[in-house]
Amino acid sequence: MSNEFNFSLKDYESNFKPTWCPGCGNFSQWRAIRQALVELELTPEEVVLVSGIGCSSHMPNFLKVYGLQTVHGRGIPVATGIRLANPDLTVLVYGGDGDIYGIGGNHFLHACRRNVDIITIVSNNFVYGLTTGQASATTPVGTITKTTPRGSIENPLNPITVAISAGATFVARGFSGDLQHLSYVIKEAIAHRGFAFVDVFSPCITFNKNQTFNYFREKVYKVEDTDHDKEDIYSALDLSNQRFIKDDLPIGIFYQIENKTTYEERDFTLNQGVIPAKAPLDLSKEQIDIITKEFY
Amino acid sequence: MTKDVIVRFVGSAGDGLVSLGDLFGKILKKHNFNVLGFRSYQSVIRGGYNEYQIRASTDEVLSVGENADIVVLLNKHVAEIHKVRVNSGNKVIYDDDYIDLDELEYPENIIKLPIPLASITKDISKLKVLKNIVGFGAISYILGLDEELVKEVIFEQFGDKGEEIVSTNYEALEKGYAYANENDWPVKWEKHKYGKAQQMIISGNEALALGMLSAGLKFYSGYPMTPATSIVHYLTRYLPKLGMIVKQTEDEIAAVGMAIGAAYCGARAATGTSGGGFSLMTELIGMAGIEEIPLVVINSQRAGPSTGMATKTEQADLFQAYGASQGEFPKVILAPSSIAEAFNVGIEAIEIAEKYQIVVIVLLDLYLSEQIATVRKLDLERKNKRFGILENPDENYVRYRITESGVSDRTLPGTKNGMFFTGSSERNERGTSIASTLAGLPETLPIRREMVEKRMRKLDLILKEVEEPSIFGEEDSSITLVSWGSTKYIVREAINLLKGEGISAKQLHIKTINPFHTSQVRKILEDSKEILCIEQNYTGQMNDFIRMKTGFDIKHSFRRWDGEPIVPSQIIAKVKEVLNIE
Repeated sequence: MSNEFNFSLKDYESNFKPTWCPGCGNFSQWRAIRQALVELELTPEEVVLVSGIGCSSHMPNFLKVYGLQTVHGRGIPVATGIRLANPDLTVLVYGGDGDIYGIGGNHFLHACRRNVDIITIVSNNFVYGLTTGQASATTPVGTITKTTPRGSIENPLNPITVAISAGATFVARGFSGDLQHLSYVIKEAIAHRGFAFVDVFSPCITFNKNQTFNYFREKVYKVEDTDHDKEDIYSALDLSNQRFIKDDLPIGIFYQIENKTTYEERDFTLNQGVIPAKAPLDLSKEQIDIITKEFY
Repeated sequence: MTKDVIVRFVGSAGDGLVSLGDLFGKILKKHNFNVLGFRSYQSVIRGGYNEYQIRASTDEVLSVGENADIVVLLNKHVAEIHKVRVNSGNKVIYDDDYIDLDELEYPENIIKLPIPLASITKDISKLKVLKNIVGFGAISYILGLDEELVKEVIFEQFGDKGEEIVSTNYEALEKGYAYANENDWPVKWEKHKYGKAQQMIISGNEALALGMLSAGLKFYSGYPMTPATSIVHYLTRYLPKLGMIVKQTEDEIAAVGMAIGAAYCGARAATGTSGGGFSLMTELIGMAGIEEIPLVVINSQRAGPSTGMATKTEQADLFQAYGASQGEFPKVILAPSSIAEAFNVGIEAIEIAEKYQIVVIVLLDLYLSEQIATVRKLDLERKNKRFGILENPDENYVRYRITESGVSDRTLPGTKNGMFFTGSSERNERGTSIASTLAGLPETLPIRREMVEKRMRKLDLILKEVEEPSIFGEEDSSITLVSWGSTKYIVREAINLLKGEGISAKQLHIKTINPFHTSQVRKILEDSKEILCIEQNYTGQMNDFIRMKTGFDIKHSFRRWDGEPIVPSQIIAKVKEVLNIE
């Protein structure tokens, strides 16, 4: 871009103030996303933030970018359509564990394998917040919620393992209690070429008395402080399962491969440099001849 | 003199029936016939009982017809089943090395035309499929077709497969022709010169796809489901030359979601499916409705409910389309009646969607999607205009401005100073949700009312622009036949036949289902004598729909729900019953 970049955090803030409970983990994500956009010098008009339904999915209301809130669980397909129609845009999906691992789980799997260059950030609070506290796909066994008064009997999903296994090329985790690290992870996710996924430990201060800020503060450690090789899929899978082996919770970039071609690079239309949203509408005589020949 | 012939190929899945029928359709088109073909098949990949019936006429072909002049039996299994379908005088062509019609107890009043297709083929080549070409040769003899024109079609079809393939095909054709000649097969038409064909032969789905392409379609997504899948097949064939995206998705929810995302970015977008997939799409259809994102959704109806009969036709999703998604939002529903109209509806749907930032549902059915017919050359050259897109928004820009027309200018992502929020919740003019902290506050009540009214107002303008119900036949006819969608020309044929018997009938045909031309329809019905509503369903959905919209109760109905298309003789019989004519 020829113009000098002079946007600050404030320029990405809408005039609608966040409606989350005071102290909610989503606030630090609200800031971390803006911080990453500023550091990457992405102007508000080139960013689209797509969400679903849930407390966290209110996010695009509070940001001054192109924001689109879909129905429950459908952020990923809508974002994929946006990106394929206009690959000049930076497209982020933001939602909760209920939205993306639960009702939208199928889309999540296929986004991982498809490797379209979009970024999916999941505010994982291990509970359904907006509907006042029911078990979610990540709720640990034994947890008492309104729908599991005798304790949850289902095994939780491990989103990091699932994403790596399904073919995601960037898989990371952040913690709402560590803003600078979260912002770093999100920034790396946006900068990544291909599908990037960030799970965020984001405590629900109202409906989850187990996975609290203090709980995570005691357990998280940064993989960047270890000798973890993020390009090694086996180490990444080991790391992603550590939580089930011992009580430490790694945060940071679990897995990243840079050399895998993206969907856009493989697509026979997009790799010609075509931007479908801006492509000419009228068929040329030559195109008409080609597409009607079989009917004569 | 009118020349009219019905040829029915009967075989199993795996016999190459589709390519056989398509190729024969092309051969007839080459001879300047009007052609209509329809395949009745089952949801199996190998085996089963399938028919591909083709009607050719020097007149307009309105339906695929009922009684075949020529029946071609491709194997013993289907020959056995077909026995009950054969009529007196039918010319039945079969391979007597494999099929014995006497053993199968075929009636005596047919004309048996045995031909050892397999052994004739064996002398030419190892390619078993060539026997179909031998068969074409024999049929060409009966119909007095021009061998040179048949060869032209064969060359167009197989020319790129090399000289040897072409010459063996020619030889097969000649041998079939000679066999019929040597065995004194009956001749229906003497050999004569045919005019030069200018027409296209195309299916309903392909014509719809061409229409959408002509109107600037840039994004199409779908999940495989009969009978909509061939739209994806067709569009995909010509990538990347079309400069568009065609995306197979993980499910129909993703298909409609991606189309919405693309449309939000400014790409003209559509998705297509059948009833089951449409059910999955409905939640996001409502979202496109409230977010005012242009969207075209094609529902090619098949026999339901649930999986129903996947390869059979029905018109039973009228209320499913009309009521698609919770709550109230405007939607346009168009039901094309023919292949030529499917092309026009493709253009119309894409254009209305963008112009009014609205959801347009195109209701096809299996009968129209999968039939092939000759049509006058479709004109794909268009100067398309864009509607309602702001490139340089000023500081007063708000996305959902309340306007008289109900349509507000929009910015596309990437546009400087055009950022806005849109969501599936109710909103104010800026796009900000009024559903959370503002819900129910006194100042938001008028906003909610205005937003609902703004969206719904669009339909008033659209009603003036979409096609009115059409009338065919004499005004003071003794009966009015009401139809919608793909049955139009079947009814038309019945009306022509009734006229021949001295019975006057007219047709009221409905293409635009929503918005509905209420006063026009009511007037026509009030001015009618007897009225008969004809539909491919059990409950009489259009009958109910018309009563709901106009208050007019149509007394008589003819309905068919066994999965096969309505035929003119059924309509004629019902008309005579209503009019008390023996």
